[in-house]
Amino acid sequence: MATIGLKKKPRSRSQFLRELKENITAYLFISPAVLVIAIFGLFPIGYSIYMSLFKWRVQKGDFIGLENYSDIIGDWFGLLIFLGGLVLLGLAFWVWNNAFRSMNNGALVAKLIAAVLLVAVGLTLSLGWEKMTTAGEDVFLNSLIITLFYALGSVPIQLILALILAYILFQNIRGKEIFRMIYFLPYVTPIVSTAVVFRTIFSPRETSLANILIGKIGIEPLKWLFEPKPVTELMFGWENLNSFLAGPSLALVTIILFGVWSFVGYNTVIFLAGLGGISKEIYEAAEIDGASTWGLFRHVTIPLLSPITFYLFLISFIGTFKAFNHIYVMKVPNAQKTVITASVQVFQTFYTENNFSVAAAEAIILFLIILGLTYAQNKLLGDRVFYG
Amino acid sequence: MASTAKTTTSTYSARKKGSSDKTKRVLLKAFLYLVLILGAIVALMPFYWMISTSLMSLGETINRKWLPEVPQFVNYVNAWNEADFAKYFFNSVIITAVTLLGIMTTSTLAGYAFARIKFWGRNVIFAILLSTLMIPESITLLPNLLLVRGSIIPLPGGSWMNTLQGLTVPFMANAFSIFLLRQFFAQIPNELWDAARIDGAGHFRFLMQIVLPISKAPIMTVLLFGFTGSWNAFAWPLLVTTRDTWRPLMVGLWTFVSEAGPETHLLMAGAVISLLPILVMYFLTQKQFTEGIATTGLKG
Repeated sequence: MATIGLKKKPRSRSQFLRELKENITAYLFISPAVLVIAIFGLFPIGYSIYMSLFKWRVQKGDFIGLENYSDIIGDWFGLLIFLGGLVLLGLAFWVWNNAFRSMNNGALVAKLIAAVLLVAVGLTLSLGWEKMTTAGEDVFLNSLIITLFYALGSVPIQLILALILAYILFQNIRGKEIFRMIYFLPYVTPIVSTAVVFRTIFSPRETSLANILIGKIGIEPLKWLFEPKPVTELMFGWENLNSFLAGPSLALVTIILFGVWSFVGYNTVIFLAGLGGISKEIYEAAEIDGASTWGLFRHVTIPLLSPITFYLFLISFIGTFKAFNHIYVMKVPNAQKTVITASVQVFQTFYTENNFSVAAAEAIILFLIILGLTYAQNKLLGDRVFYG
Repeated sequence: MASTAKTTTSTYSARKKGSSDKTKRVLLKAFLYLVLILGAIVALMPFYWMISTSLMSLGETINRKWLPEVPQFVNYVNAWNEADFAKYFFNSVIITAVTLLGIMTTSTLAGYAFARIKFWGRNVIFAILLSTLMIPESITLLPNLLLVRGSIIPLPGGSWMNTLQGLTVPFMANAFSIFLLRQFFAQIPNELWDAARIDGAGHFRFLMQIVLPISKAPIMTVLLFGFTGSWNAFAWPLLVTTRDTWRPLMVGLWTFVSEAGPETHLLMAGAVISLLPILVMYFLTQKQFTEGIATTGLKG
């Protein structure tokens, strides 16, 4: 410890006492924090697992093992096929990037094989999913699709806009600080307050801000947050597509708009920090080689920012699976199930339906998905990204 | 070789077309500013809408105008008094203050121990604490609700529903604050500790008299994150406050949405009230706040 010595001295009694005292002090210091986190952070996980094994509506009922999970998932074999599809996806990803590098035209062969694999991925995923939805709990499984819509709808747009704004701000722009502050404002303001404001902006009234604005370009007033119909139906009149192909409802798109509005600033700030980390010399060297502004952006900035882009993508993606507050505030009954994401569904299962054990099982499934995503994040961050 | 040739031609053409290049650059710059300003308008539009609506009369909110004819500051008085936002506001203030006090106490003590005292199981305990950062709120809400109701284990003072402790105690420690402070405390040179020990100080006195005064920056970050987290909390207080005794602002705002119906002007006044403290704090600590987020990369 603090004793300086080249050789390890035998422990004397006083040394032992001192160590004991240090230990006691340390445990006293950490005990308040450990107690709170253990009770309100860790215990709930164990207790959720415990609850999910019973019949439990407000009052605890019989032990039923994994029945709650079977009811939700519907078809274990379907789940297995679905997971197999995910493994195939990983394989396709690997083949695309790594396989046959030593061969002549190896890359081309690899891409062809990967393409074939991707078709197989699509087939297995949809087959597995269909098996699950026909037998399982529609509402929760559907909420996972809604969450996926929400994630795929908001994260890429959010990142692209943030990258553009950050890149412009990084040029010699006057008033850079002010712009940065303005973009960051939506992220800092309490999400419930701004979601309440968006509820009135995107209300179906003819005089709501959203309807006034689209009226200026000659579009009829829309129902926005109250509209359960998918955007594809509203735009192109496609009806009766199955729920996945039809895409998100207008109500969900409105919530996506809110998500983009509120998180662009955060991503911009992180991108700006990343841009600041790229050394000027690389740009100068590229400029001497005759790179254009676009070339600089495409071949220097983007690759060097890739660790940050990737980090932000995964963090935001995982974040959408956790998102609750603004979706809960912006959902209206008229939008039906089209805006109920997984975390909102978990909440409603115990809060409005009082079905504690099913809610616990759903929460565990959601947690496993988030864990899986986090694992993928760590795996992928390890070897996919270019570190400058 | 090809590249040298290219460079010479490009410099040559640059010299030749010097003036048109300049106008091109000015145009580009103007375009960039246009994009930035457009972005700023989109970012600020909801704020404009909220503030202007909050100052309208009921009639004006229905027959939509861009600005109120006469600003109705009385809306704020009404929201404050009649819609109970005063009560919710003070509830939020107290809840946030108590939570912050708790976070400060637990995280400085624990952060110090993890950084500067060697003890059995230190790394294991720390790793377990850190793992809680991955746990989504949706999984902890239900068990914690049952805990706070007293239906799992009996609690001191019976059920904690609708109480200050029910709203604050679960948030009085978090792994993020401990981690942040630990990182900083670990960098404090050992000489300071040796000197303090010679003066007869123990760990606690060293922490209070030497470590805390030189740790203003990380403590500020912890306070800022704690403040926003506690002020913005929604799901938990929604569950725990079935009556309005301790109902905080965010939940008050939400119940106003579902109950008030068409009184948009009062709702917007309430929204302004609810975000004012956060905005004031943001403008006061803008730089620290933004940099705190950029360096920790935390997603709220």
